[in-house]
Amino acid sequence: MEIHLRINDEARTFQVAPGDLLLDVLRREGYFGVKHGCEDGSCGACTVLLDGIPRASCTMLAAQAEGAEVTTIEGVADVALEGYGPSQGWRGNVNLHPIQQSFVETGAIQCGYCTPAMILAAKSLLETEPNPTEDQVRDALSGVLCRCTGYLKPVQAVLRAAAVLRGEEVSPIKGREGIPAPPDLFPTPSTGPGRASPTPPEELGPDLVGGGDVALKTTPVPTMVVAPETNRLRVVGKPEPKVDAIKLVQGKPAFAADMEKRGMLIGKLLRSPYAHARIRRVDASQARALPGVHAVLTYEDVPRVARSTAGQSHPIPGPLDSFSFDTKVRHVGDRVAAVAAETEEIAEEALRLIEVEYEVFPAILDPRDALDNPVVIHDEPDYVNFAHSNPERNLAAQLRIDLGDVDQAMEAAEHVFEAEYAVPRVQQAPIEPYVCITYWDEDDRLVFRTSTQVPFHIRRILAPVLGLPVKRIRVIKPRIGGGFGNKQEVMIEDACAHLTIATGRPVKMEYTRQEQFVGSTSRHPMIIKMRTGVMNDGTMVANEMITLADTGAYGNHALTVTGNTGHKAMSLYNAPNIRFYADIVYTNYPSSGAYRGYGVPQGFWAVESHMERICKEMGWDPIQFRLKNAVKAGDEHPLSKVWSEGREPKPEVIQTCALPEAVQEGAVHFGWRRGTNDDDYHRVPGKSHLRRGQGVAMVMQGTAIPYLDMGAASIKMNDDGSFNLLVGATDLGTGSDTVLGQMVAEVLGCPLEDVIVYSSDTDFTPFDKGAYASSTTYISGAAAVRAAEQVAAQIRERAAKMLAIPRQGDVADVSEPGWQPHDIDLYDRRAWAPDGRSVSLEEVALNTLHSEDQHQIMGIGSYVSPVSPPPFAAQFAEVTVDVETGQVTVDRLLMALDCGVIVNPATASSQVEGGMAQALGYAISEEMAFDESGRMANPRFGDYRIFSADEMPDMQVIFVETYEPSHPFGVKAVAEIPLDGVAPAVGNAVYDAVGVQILDIPLTPEKVWQALREKNRH
Amino acid sequence: MKPAPFKYYAPTTAEEALAHLAEHGYDAKVLAGGQSLIPTMNFRLAQPSVLVDLNHVSELFYIKPGGDGGVLVGAMTRESQVEHDPLIAERAPLVFEAMPHIAHPQIRNRGTFGGCIAHADPAAELPAVSVALDARLRIRSQAGERWVSADEFFVGFFTTVIEPDELLVEIALPPMAPRSGCSFQEVARRHGDYALVGAAASVALDHQGRCQRVRLVFLSVGEGPVEAGRAADLLQGQFPTPEAIRAAAETAASADVDPGSDIHASADYRRHLVKILARQSLTQAFDRAKGIGG
Repeated sequence: MEIHLRINDEARTFQVAPGDLLLDVLRREGYFGVKHGCEDGSCGACTVLLDGIPRASCTMLAAQAEGAEVTTIEGVADVALEGYGPSQGWRGNVNLHPIQQSFVETGAIQCGYCTPAMILAAKSLLETEPNPTEDQVRDALSGVLCRCTGYLKPVQAVLRAAAVLRGEEVSPIKGREGIPAPPDLFPTPSTGPGRASPTPPEELGPDLVGGGDVALKTTPVPTMVVAPETNRLRVVGKPEPKVDAIKLVQGKPAFAADMEKRGMLIGKLLRSPYAHARIRRVDASQARALPGVHAVLTYEDVPRVARSTAGQSHPIPGPLDSFSFDTKVRHVGDRVAAVAAETEEIAEEALRLIEVEYEVFPAILDPRDALDNPVVIHDEPDYVNFAHSNPERNLAAQLRIDLGDVDQAMEAAEHVFEAEYAVPRVQQAPIEPYVCITYWDEDDRLVFRTSTQVPFHIRRILAPVLGLPVKRIRVIKPRIGGGFGNKQEVMIEDACAHLTIATGRPVKMEYTRQEQFVGSTSRHPMIIKMRTGVMNDGTMVANEMITLADTGAYGNHALTVTGNTGHKAMSLYNAPNIRFYADIVYTNYPSSGAYRGYGVPQGFWAVESHMERICKEMGWDPIQFRLKNAVKAGDEHPLSKVWSEGREPKPEVIQTCALPEAVQEGAVHFGWRRGTNDDDYHRVPGKSHLRRGQGVAMVMQGTAIPYLDMGAASIKMNDDGSFNLLVGATDLGTGSDTVLGQMVAEVLGCPLEDVIVYSSDTDFTPFDKGAYASSTTYISGAAAVRAAEQVAAQIRERAAKMLAIPRQGDVADVSEPGWQPHDIDLYDRRAWAPDGRSVSLEEVALNTLHSEDQHQIMGIGSYVSPVSPPPFAAQFAEVTVDVETGQVTVDRLLMALDCGVIVNPATASSQVEGGMAQALGYAISEEMAFDESGRMANPRFGDYRIFSADEMPDMQVIFVETYEPSHPFGVKAVAEIPLDGVAPAVGNAVYDAVGVQILDIPLTPEKVWQALREKNRH
Repeated sequence: MKPAPFKYYAPTTAEEALAHLAEHGYDAKVLAGGQSLIPTMNFRLAQPSVLVDLNHVSELFYIKPGGDGGVLVGAMTRESQVEHDPLIAERAPLVFEAMPHIAHPQIRNRGTFGGCIAHADPAAELPAVSVALDARLRIRSQAGERWVSADEFFVGFFTTVIEPDELLVEIALPPMAPRSGCSFQEVARRHGDYALVGAAASVALDHQGRCQRVRLVFLSVGEGPVEAGRAADLLQGQFPTPEAIRAAAETAASADVDPGSDIHASADYRRHLVKILARQSLTQAFDRAKGIGG
């Protein structure tokens, strides 16, 4: 049938089938700013304006839009607008809409996948309500789920845009003209922690607490205590707009799926309906006979190569226990077959025509039943062991770490506390699902354009699986719509590539939301037993953690995730005797994997809940007790000498730690009231069923994997004095392209806009292990700085030659300028000699490329670190509990962090806010639920509850900078630590509010109600 | 996933729509806002061979005053329209109060008032609200039309009295009696989620301040909206004292509902929430009937 639409003021006519969704038709016609995130309207990524009103285009037939006026993000920027936008050459600029400009300026964009939808929803709001309240903005954005930002900056952006549209003046977004560090805030390791007086909120200027003239409930700009070493920096430390913001805000076709290829087929996977079964017979003849089907692949068609899906460095620190297609299925949703067909409809039909005969086995659906169960999940003879994995015992990995003599110390301890904690299976839930396009290029090399965190690992891991040498594979990582560890996995690329090899055609494979839940990875569920020995004076003498971790059907990341549970969470408190044991077992659930925090949030739920219990029972102040026992600058990292990701451990000394200072700053800004004996606080006037409470948790993480994680960067100089920065590092929305560019710009004395950042492509960019382990700013950043220093040295050399020519009229000794090339300063796009003379970078470039002794100024740097300096943080939460229904409302979250020097306060605080929002879901609402047959019961947004804009608590971020000496700009990691402490801070606040400690998350209303009922019975 | 193939009709009058339904009977599905139907078709849980789209039937989009002082709502009126309509706010405050609990703005911009009621999801707000208000529903077929009261309209899990050749065309919301009040309360894990349990209460007092009329209806505790008849009987003719309300709430929980367990909540917890929400909603509704509070 034919439909007629007016799209972005242009009349269009399309041929559609009745069942075509508006989303699919718009994308097919090139409106790639309309994104796919789910199939039921719950994520809102596909929002368009239909006659001016925001609508989900995935729950609407194209036919229904007949005659409508459709606005997509592509129609929002306009030459007729005022302001700025990308230059179109002689035609001038396409100017961004004020809402787009505001999203760029405030740092409201991370991965940018939901940005078009947010902007359209905001546009519709501001057209009817030019002066909205914050609540109205939050309501308007509530139909668009964002997994990156925590919504604070998008809300700020909309309010700021509203002010601009009303004709009001707004001031620039300020960054780090922050409060100076108290004089003794940064002690040397040898002198121990200093005494810092926290800065009262009233002493902070309006720019610091408000930011950009719009009043929000909480500050969208982080409060900064700045390290004195950063005073001279020009680009590092500024809230520079992200280098990819302009394209993302326009909905440009930057993502993996935003591409058409002639003859491209659609790939689809057939999944197991059983949790544990042997495939006795597959008959794909009917499916293959269906017109439009080009390939059906099963275990009969594809070579059997044992591999791990974990995207990690060589050699993989885990068992090789999975295959592209196997004769056995190990969870509901496990792969059975793959189909490539002309259309999605035909592919779906073909899946239905594949006949499979299963021999169904009993399934292991409780990790406590897994070890030594007669039911063996991995009985394949070609299973490749790693370390202590033992498939006959359903054991994917095992850890036994003892420091000192825990049992003896427990005997001697004056108090011993024991409890068992549990954490659920939760999903990373990036709004962009897995998506991959594979094709043969003109040189018969296999090209992957895929949404991944680990392009280089994909190339290495898949070469043997596909029967291709590494050199015949190219992996391109375009913009990524969020990953959070979910995409540190080689999960669909092999299937997509097999289909391209089988058909010779380009193939696109894109997950549905349901597949994303059952066919990707999740956070390892764990049952964690804690036992801690404490003396009367509060000294912790022994600390023990015994963990049972559920890796699901496959052992990807099994050892390393759970190792980090102990390595980080059991290192915060420096007890002389520490034990960390873990069994990581196979079950018949979808496999666990990497998820931001990488095992550490699980550990800190147990550790920080347990510390609270100790404080309550011994009468200790929760802050005092923790700080008394926490590690300090100058201490040896307790577990560094016994474990390092399954490789040889080497002891590390903690060089910087501002945990006490972060706690103090945090407590003052939060209004910490514990210890004030103010019983009235818990009551809410006029609401007898409500109780308030506050909680705190202290946490640490690491920064990269020492002696292993390597990143590299190359830089070349262009005619105009601009630079190409090529990095293997994988920006998945985090802003790493921006912060790496900032560091390079700082070294080269140019503005960020002169650094053209490209990441990543295995053909063009140097190696980087990928985006994980909180390492990009630190490792890849150091590599970029090394490359930049080489380029800077070459610029200085050339500039020195150029400046050595005496100025007209001067009688100078050419051979004796009185200074050396290394005395030249680079800033303001010029090279400055100590005598005040200078040449521009453009002059240097032209001279080097065209005039004299020509060569290409370029540099390449790589970096691997001998240490993994831990960031530290204190997280505070305030909650209100309804004691009748058990409902927990988190009212406020504050996080005060020592993450070293902050390269970009906007992107860094955005990481923290977004991380806190994810962690809040972990604390109170998110859980993958399964029925008794192992089938996931809530594989969709809505039933699986991630937070939306209108239900977020107030959030505040405080950075207390230290200057980490192992990095050229003093940085440590920021990305993962926000996930660690929200759940225990919330749990401890609930404990404070109602006097009941709940040992497992999420803190659902029913669980809290049950706990209160138990308490009242006693 | 994508919907299975089907025939698509986009009539512009109700008459035309009814003709399609008469012709295709059980094979046809009516497409209103599509916020439930299109996802179920995307997941291929529904595979109708004919789809009759009402979105161009302009005669079904309206909110107008009823002759009795109530409100008449055309079945295709968008939920967002109802949410922001001053006549609804004035004459059907229970509906006004319940609207923001439905999903999120994009959904309400497309979802329709009649579609939500006819879909008869036991976890949806509007079916319970329509029963609590004694709404009357106008159902048309080619043969003519009939009126059905809301409490007779819902007959089970996603099932109503609408025959395959019929169409829900209008919802009549009766006027608020003097000394009447209402309240909508729910407990959800997250705003905009389907409620774990929800309660809609609508009450009226006589001149002495005794209960003259009590309607207390729950959602998410059965196969459709569940009315707490025994609790209402207990209050009938009584002064709505806190003790009386508490007793009614206990009765609602113990005798009127028989909730099930699912991944969202256990039966036990739902029963407990019925008690709490019964008390809260009745208390607020009676306060409003007495002119106390907002």
